[in-house]
Amino acid sequence: MTLPAIEGRALSRTYGGFRALDGVDLKVARGEVRGIIGPNGAGKSTLMDVLTGRAASRGGTVLLGGRDISALAPRARQRAGLARSFQKTNVFLDLTVGEQIRLAGRCATLDNGEEVLVALGLAEIAHRPAADISYGDRRRLDLALALVGRPQVLLLDEPAAGLTVEESLAMADLLKDLARRWHVTVLLVEHDMEVVFGICDRITVLHLGRLLAEGTPAEIRSDPRVISAYLGTAA
Amino acid sequence: MTSPATLTATAPARPARAPGSVLALVVLGTGCLLPFAGASPLLLSLLVQAIIGAMLATGVGFLVRQNGMVSFGHALFFGLGGYVLGVPMAHGLLPPEMAVLLALLVPALLAFLLGLVITRIPGVAFSMLSLACAQTFYEVVLKVRTLANGDDGMSVTFPARLFGLDVGLLQDPRSMYLICWVLLAAVLVGLWLFTRSPYGLLTLAIRSNEERARFIGYETVVPRAAVYALSAGVAGLAGVLATFYNGFISPDMMHWTLSGSALVMAVIGGTRAVWGPALGAVVFFFFKEIVGDATEHWPAVIGITLIVVTLCAPAGLSGLLARLFARRAA
Ligand SMILES: Nc1ncnc2c1ncn2[C@@H]1O[C@H](COP(=O)(O)OP(=O)(O)OP(=O)(O)O)[C@@H](O)[C@H]1O
Ligand SMILES: [Mg+2]
Repeated sequence: MTLPAIEGRALSRTYGGFRALDGVDLKVARGEVRGIIGPNGAGKSTLMDVLTGRAASRGGTVLLGGRDISALAPRARQRAGLARSFQKTNVFLDLTVGEQIRLAGRCATLDNGEEVLVALGLAEIAHRPAADISYGDRRRLDLALALVGRPQVLLLDEPAAGLTVEESLAMADLLKDLARRWHVTVLLVEHDMEVVFGICDRITVLHLGRLLAEGTPAEIRSDPRVISAYLGTAA
Repeated sequence: MTSPATLTATAPARPARAPGSVLALVVLGTGCLLPFAGASPLLLSLLVQAIIGAMLATGVGFLVRQNGMVSFGHALFFGLGGYVLGVPMAHGLLPPEMAVLLALLVPALLAFLLGLVITRIPGVAFSMLSLACAQTFYEVVLKVRTLANGDDGMSVTFPARLFGLDVGLLQDPRSMYLICWVLLAAVLVGLWLFTRSPYGLLTLAIRSNEERARFIGYETVVPRAAVYALSAGVAGLAGVLATFYNGFISPDMMHWTLSGSALVMAVIGGTRAVWGPALGAVVFFFFKEIVGDATEHWPAVIGITLIVVTLCAPAGLSGLLARLFARRAA
């Protein structure tokens, strides 16, 4: 088997004695779209934070394409090909859309800023400050910032949060399309089950900071533990 | 950037910019004519002090604009420019030209090194640290009397020529006014170009959202320290000019009240525009002169004015002018 695009071994994180993430193992193959689901507080965002170095891991190893990146700062992990978007929109409000995409492009080995602007339908509002654009546009800008440079692995924390049903389905189609075209490995945290089951190759379920189940959408849908812990209540 | 929507939307910004640069040239030109239009040496001398204040305020305001940080201690760099120039000059420690160069470099250099540590600290804590650093240096120049006579200060005499130029030009109100005016313009243009540069954009991005800047792959501490250094360098230049003009250095140059006034000037002028703090300084200076003649309670009047300005025009006088201009152009 070839090396996984990204791998986490025994990832843990505590917040003042509380185990937000507790010994989670994760292996995602190249080109795979992996869904991460679980109830509120399950540790999904914490997993993203530990993988990208936003939160220091308290134990565990992160491997990107087989290379141990556990000791690297977020910036260095980004440069190594690991990009992310955020659950709470995290863009540069004082800069125009175009300026921030250009800025991201300058830092990347491959500057595909223009391509990303067009792909995400942001070209028309490139001249506008991010503070003045709609919430939906800001969500797409957050995603766009992560896509500049064509990362090998893309971590998306609820990219469709707060979007309308049509918007989130459009976002899902877009993601699937981009992942295929650019051969990006995607880890997608999402509460919208229609989106997750629609575009993910495999799904990981977290519960109380631990790994509850992992499998194909069909396996997850029929897993009794998942149904009782999550799907039963979310559906 | 090629879509028609983008082009039409950016078009209206164009006509507004052209009058901006024309206006800047008119202001610069008018200022240069002042000494030849019968302005008295007294007025010119006042203007020299005002422009030096404007330069200090420009440094403080630039830090706010580009780094989002409020310094309560920029007098440190102003005073440092003065002391690094004056002390070796008076004690004959260095070749005079060397002292001038050092005086221009040391404030920026010190700020860069300090900045690597203290610009990581956000908000009020940074302001307090900048104040603490300034007060430390203030205590040193106050207590170490062998340096420059402690709180008495020290007069500094310069050689007749430096770098082949007549130093007398720096002490005559007419010529010094012109030199300061042109230098201020050069500083403003330089800083404005910086804000337009890719590096300037990066520093704005870091001010806007430092975490995201890291997550798109940028190192953020050095750019922050670089902006701090630049703003300190401008303050240091102001201190050097003040020392040349007054021929005197004293701990007052590093006192927190000077840092405070510079901040007030920057707030009155507004920091969104690079030239805002300079405008604020000139207004502050003349306001102080006029009100100071009328009442000894001028600080109270300034305080009330500050409150009114921050309430009515949060973006300062420059913000107000920019708004008026935008309305005219529309
Ligand atoms: N910075 C923090 N300080 C303290 N506790 C935290 C912090 N971040 C997360 N937690 C806690 O860790 C647990 C996991 O949080 P996390 O944000 O990873 O959950 P999540 O699965 O992303 O939930 P959601 O679906 O609501 O986004 C929660 O109980 C949360 O309260
Ligand atoms: Mg979350």
